[in-house]
Amino acid sequence: MTAEQLTDALRARFPDLSVRPVDTAPSATVEPATLHGHMRFLRDELAFDMLEAVYRLFCSEARASLMVRVVLPRRAARVPTVSDIFRTAEWHEREAAEMFGIEFEGHPDPRRLLLPDDLEGHPLLKDFTHPNLRRLPETA
Amino acid sequence: MADIPAPPTAPTPAPAASDEFILNVGPQHPATHGVLKVVVTMDGEVVKDIVPHIGYVHRGLEKLFENRTWEQIIPFTDRTDYLSAIANNFAYVMAVERLLGLQVPRKVEYIRVIMAELNRIASHLLWLAAYGLDMGAFTPFLYAFRDREEIGSMIESASGGRLTTNYFRIGGFVHDLPPDFFPRLRAFVGHFGRKVDEYDTLLIENAIFVARTRGVGAIDRDLAMSCGMSGPCLRACNAPRDVRKDTPYSLYPRLEFDIPVGRHGDTWDRSKVRIEEMRQSLRILRQAMDGYPEGDFKVRVPRNIEPPAGEVYVAVEGPRGEVGFFLVSDGSRKPYRVKMRTPSFSNFSALPDILRGGKIADLVAVMGSLDLVVPEMDR
Repeated sequence: MTAEQLTDALRARFPDLSVRPVDTAPSATVEPATLHGHMRFLRDELAFDMLEAVYRLFCSEARASLMVRVVLPRRAARVPTVSDIFRTAEWHEREAAEMFGIEFEGHPDPRRLLLPDDLEGHPLLKDFTHPNLRRLPETA
Repeated sequence: MADIPAPPTAPTPAPAASDEFILNVGPQHPATHGVLKVVVTMDGEVVKDIVPHIGYVHRGLEKLFENRTWEQIIPFTDRTDYLSAIANNFAYVMAVERLLGLQVPRKVEYIRVIMAELNRIASHLLWLAAYGLDMGAFTPFLYAFRDREEIGSMIESASGGRLTTNYFRIGGFVHDLPPDFFPRLRAFVGHFGRKVDEYDTLLIENAIFVARTRGVGAIDRDLAMSCGMSGPCLRACNAPRDVRKDTPYSLYPRLEFDIPVGRHGDTWDRSKVRIEEMRQSLRILRQAMDGYPEGDFKVRVPRNIEPPAGEVYVAVEGPRGEVGFFLVSDGSRKPYRVKMRTPSFSNFSALPDILRGGKIADLVAVMGSLDLVVPEMDR
């Protein structure tokens, strides 16, 4: 299965889904409510079996990858966990939760992963402030 | 007398059943090869559950990247996995070049592959040395470090650094290879094959080593994939997955080499796969030396790099597995977002599944066989 066939299969199953090529991999933008259904379809029927970060999937049979994008509102960033479908998401979701303040509903172990327990805020958000964090001067 | 406030109490773990007890391994423990902690719940010597804790050396690199120009990030990538600085450089530089739409000269591709494979051998040698120590064998440590020294000197002659090399640049390298590089490389490739055979018989096929590792810490292929494992740890489970073959990059599509796989996914298979990979790296080095072209060691790029807005994910096969960079550019001199996909992070997250139901004595054997580099997990 090539990247084009993957895109066609996705479009055939979910006609409303927006799928566009980004770099060499197609990219699909989905709603939080439908993420779980999409992920299950991708694993069970399109044989995607590896995942990482914000939903980059790799199909080892087709040697093709797909980016799945969920658009979340900043104030109520809530999305169901996919760690029950792809195990590796468990730690990646823990990291995304502490770094960006995204809540992964139904996560089996929602503790912090990398950050100290007493740190306030979500460091990878652009408006995060900390006394030790300064903008570096511009170089010529 | 003023009241002395009570010290803050640490959260207590869930009460264990009467015949269970909890053992902390780390954060300072020789078997962790860095700073991490595992909390093991045991029933006698059987591991009932294991909870890994990481983040002790988290430096917030992904945040720091957002405050650096594209070129300034390269030396930081050295310091994630310091044993495979070149693989990290390679992935990052290639990702930026993809954003820029930049083609590099053929000679640059050759040097990159030579450096990456030398780095893979050096990393596997250090694993062999450290793992021998973990298993109580001291001699392989001395042997492996002797050969790793040669690679260190070669890499130093090209880059000036032995471990954190900072050799790659966007569009090429900081220097060309020195004139005496190829005679040294040729000598190394000429004799190292016999050394690998020696290590194979000395440690891997050693009866005591086999008894301690065969059938220990096996993981099922589908579970390993679901856990996002990659590199030798995944290939040991009979899954021939290698970024160099799956999404071919640089020179690799034109080189002949095999992907060694194990059969049972156990600790011994993970060890054997690494030994076999050193032989394959030698094959690659021979081909790269023979086809080495004349040409430039870099392509001219602007002093201030401003890649067009866009995003890209580029991965290479590092010694530990898939090293990937997800870059988002907003068209400015600094990246908008950099996400590093590091192999030890995902490999280590599978530890509870590998070890649950096993014996506590196997903990060290299993953790060593995963070839963990902690700063790479924590970033």
